[in-house]
Amino acid sequence: MTGILDRELQTFNSQKSGLIGKANGKFALVKDDKIIDFFDTKFDAVRQGYERFGNVPFLVKQIVEVDIPQNFTSNLLKI
Amino acid sequence: MPSFTTQVPNLQGVGPVVEVRLAVGTIIEEVLQKNNQSIPIPLPALSMIDTGATGTVIREDLVSQLNLNPVGVTLISTPSSTNVQCYEYLMRILFPNNVVVETVVIAAPLQGQHIQCLIGRDVLRHGVFIYTGYVDTFTLSF
Repeated sequence: MTGILDRELQTFNSQKSGLIGKANGKFALVKDDKIIDFFDTKFDAVRQGYERFGNVPFLVKQIVEVDIPQNFTSNLLKI
Repeated sequence: MPSFTTQVPNLQGVGPVVEVRLAVGTIIEEVLQKNNQSIPIPLPALSMIDTGATGTVIREDLVSQLNLNPVGVTLISTPSSTNVQCYEYLMRILFPNNVVVETVVIAAPLQGQHIQCLIGRDVLRHGVFIYTGYVDTFTLSF
């Protein structure tokens, strides 16, 4: 995986512990080195991201202590 | 209730596959229109309904064809790998009978050229999936 959202991930991870106490379970909208806002749903955050920044990469990430991976039982996935 | 029923010869062997079209999300269309940019034409994609998939996956080369940019990063685990980081994209899935679902999908490599999309439980959570094996049909309703 290339590093398109590396900066946003770094921003999110550097502030994550503080965010857990402040907005646990919400979705953070992150662009470059700024956390823009928090939203109740992923779609609200994505929508706001497109409205603010246009069709460019941005990060929407749920604020949780541990990221739980999505599971795939199919061997169609070549990973 | 919007729904479609598909008959697949040898449903057991082939699986619940359906031809869908993959389009950019509604908000992306709005943004592109506002900026007088062209809207990518929806891509046809053979998809499989996969109750073993937490989320929907599209073959990663389709992303560039739709000029999509990532809106997230997620971890996935498969039978052969754990905690692999993948990008997420906003997308509309156009099923037969004008059944439309908007969701955030994962882009990942898929084996072979046959299946281009796995419809996961992020889509199924909104609907009713009926697999009628003895007549080789399945129905998806929302």
